[in-house]
Amino acid sequence: MSMMFAPRLTEAAAPTTHAAPTWSPYDNNGGTCVAIAGEDYCVIAADTRMSTGFSILTRNYSKIHQITDKSVLASSGFQADIRALQKNLDARHQIYQHQHSKQMSCPAMAQLLSNTLYYKRFFPYYAFNVLGGLDSEGRGCVYTYDAVGSYERSGYSSQGTGMQLIMPVLDNQLKSASPLVLPLRQSTTPLSEVEAVDLVKDTFASAAERDIYTGDGVEIVIVNRDGIRHELMDLKRD
Amino acid sequence: MEIDEHIGCAMSGLTADARTLVEHGRVETQNHRFSYNEPMSVESTTQALCDLALRFGEGDEESMSRPFGVSLLIAGHDDNGPCLYHTDPSGTFWQCNAKAIGSGSEGADTALQEHYDLNMTLEEAETLALSTLKQVMEEKVTSSNVDIAKVAPTYHLYTPQEVEAVIQRL
Repeated sequence: MSMMFAPRLTEAAAPTTHAAPTWSPYDNNGGTCVAIAGEDYCVIAADTRMSTGFSILTRNYSKIHQITDKSVLASSGFQADIRALQKNLDARHQIYQHQHSKQMSCPAMAQLLSNTLYYKRFFPYYAFNVLGGLDSEGRGCVYTYDAVGSYERSGYSSQGTGMQLIMPVLDNQLKSASPLVLPLRQSTTPLSEVEAVDLVKDTFASAAERDIYTGDGVEIVIVNRDGIRHELMDLKRD
Repeated sequence: MEIDEHIGCAMSGLTADARTLVEHGRVETQNHRFSYNEPMSVESTTQALCDLALRFGEGDEESMSRPFGVSLLIAGHDDNGPCLYHTDPSGTFWQCNAKAIGSGSEGADTALQEHYDLNMTLEEAETLALSTLKQVMEEKVTSSNVDIAKVAPTYHLYTPQEVEAVIQRL
């Protein structure tokens, strides 16, 4: 019983060491997202595999979420956080619609997403986002984010486990000139909608070869003036 | 006074109260720009001001024990083009094409009714506004006792020289 008092002295004397953490609030469910902006369309795509560690949880999970008539969010990372983020944005959009009697434009949603992510700067959403859609003038736009909300509008982007494999290919195919060239070029690609969709399919097929977390299928969403349409393509299941 | 780059307002009544409302409007419009990277629509801004009018202020400490004793004319330019709203202490607002508020407002409103035309040019509107003011003001209209501001499409408060130029045309 007298031993109860002794540990307190030794704790004060020796510096506390933390054991390697056994529990993490985050998990990476893998996957890759891509978006390409065109003159009057935007293509947003993501694979449909959800994994944890070296296991597959499901081959048929959608990482794509439509927030407004003109904005589509694709996110890879920790899907629980992503689902919470999607619900948060949906709620905010509902409120905006009630207050302003109109839907949010894609650039407005882009800013909202950035602020929402930064709001949790010290316990971030483990989400790597790509937001795609049409801006108020009907031109395609793609916004790419890091986990805490830093964002940029560009003509194309990819995020997720296959990002390193896909981005160089997109750069090769779509990058028109140096971003330092003035006057500022438009941030849309000269490709047609059909060509862009084909490019996306090719990039996913390539990424699925080498990235173990990318595969099973790719869900492609195309936003243009006629509305939103979906395509599904199978990928390698290994 | 300017509320945002694309919205201005004129006040009548207890002008000290108006400053609280304008400050609230400024905060709301900037918050909107911060959150959504876009200018707030004039109607939404007017609604935000009227919400404050009903609450008599924010929170426990800053709230007042009486309504704001001021009417505002909110003028702005947004996606729907140029527009004008009139608010009063009850928190109600109306959209108008032309409106006068204040002690001489009845006579001025009648004058506006007669002479206002939807297709007026900016110059004609300036002249109409000042001549209507002249009718109801006791003193002579000079560049030092009259203020003019326009939102076309951004807010601009006229310099005394610009006011003088309009006076010359009366």
